[in-house]
Amino acid sequence: MIRASGAVLAAVAALWAVAVAGAPADAMQGAIQKILYVHVPAALGAYLGFLGTALCGALYLRGGAERWDRMAIASAEVGVVFCTLNIATGPIWARGTWGHWWAWDPRLTMTLLLWFIYLAYLLLRSFTEGSERTARFAAVYGLLGALAIPLNYFAIRLFGGAAMHPDNLERESLGPGMGWPFLLGMLAAAAAFAHLLALRFDLETRRVARAHDLASHGE
Amino acid sequence: MSVFLAVLWKDLQLEWRSRDRLVAMLVFSALVVVVFHFALPGGAGAGTRMHAPGLLWVATVFAALLGLGRSFALELENDALAGLALAPAERGWIFLGKWAANVAILGLVQVVTAVVFGVVFEVDLVPVAGRLALVALLGNLGICAIGTLAAAVAVRTRFRELLLPLLVLPLLWPVLSGAVRATAELIATGRLAFEPVQLLIVADAAYLVASFVSFEFVLDE
Repeated sequence: MIRASGAVLAAVAALWAVAVAGAPADAMQGAIQKILYVHVPAALGAYLGFLGTALCGALYLRGGAERWDRMAIASAEVGVVFCTLNIATGPIWARGTWGHWWAWDPRLTMTLLLWFIYLAYLLLRSFTEGSERTARFAAVYGLLGALAIPLNYFAIRLFGGAAMHPDNLERESLGPGMGWPFLLGMLAAAAAFAHLLALRFDLETRRVARAHDLASHGE
Repeated sequence: MSVFLAVLWKDLQLEWRSRDRLVAMLVFSALVVVVFHFALPGGAGAGTRMHAPGLLWVATVFAALLGLGRSFALELENDALAGLALAPAERGWIFLGKWAANVAILGLVQVVTAVVFGVVFEVDLVPVAGRLALVALLGNLGICAIGTLAAAVAVRTRFRELLLPLLVLPLLWPVLSGAVRATAELIATGRLAFEPVQLLIVADAAYLVASFVSFEFVLDE
């Protein structure tokens, strides 16, 4: 499973690198526009991670199978990594193009709040004792975080504010020759997400098994 | 239902006898006003009136976090929390009892904080008192819904005082933004703006239902 996802990731990432290197430079922005091929795919990874956390949490609360909790923590951690990448690349692009590091644009604010919610999720996990209680508390908080996504979006929309981000992806906003590297970037992010998720899940499984081992030898 | 009333009555009675939380929250929110006076460029006064709605809600949220942290801490003594968990009742009702008690205490703090703000920022709140009370109550319901659930989670962790604000603040955004906008509109024009109030109601309902349902998984023996 891990080898297969690693092989897929390596193949897609190689294609993506070639496509990005060969993509045309933007007429207005120049080379810095190519950060798009990292920035948006990173957001995809973040959303996959956070939705996965909420979903696995719900499945854990419903059935109580412990493997869903291992999947939830793997999903949350990988999601936070992608979200950090997304939040870090945004200001670099904005500074180079508009001359501002940060604007309280609705989508940006939303992503920042999500990042804080799932950082709190990870802190909650590390501060809670007892594996079963950790799993329950984390599942509840992960679900509340998913509930907050539409609410936050609504709240920020009310504030309006200058929108630096394009509204949707359907719009013909990509120039000729930019479609393929963008699509490959999304696929590479999905592959990277799957691979990291599998690795982190494996690590968590080993950690839990080790903890069990230690506990049974201690008796 | 009787569990709800019993928990609510117990919490209010406890608060009335000791008045610990209420006094601490009141002193704290008054202190926050003093801090604002030193932090704002022109000091608190008519000149910085435009900041008043935001600051009023910041003071309310901080005071609420202080009080909410104590809401379940008391129950840890003598394992009272385990007793609550063993009560033969839907646990959601226990949550509602704790929530209602927190709403009542925070409501008192809000009244005093609003009066202090009206005086130091020289904002005449009397003509809009009724509508402001409605906005304050809507904000209060949301803050306490998410806050009571988070307090029940945080109290069973290490560093609970540290964790509570981290858990609550990012989720509180919709409530806070609706409340601040509605208050600002109210002070500026005396009208109750529809959109922020709508947001407040939606957020309150969503958080209250979510907390009611998930409290079952939070309370344990």
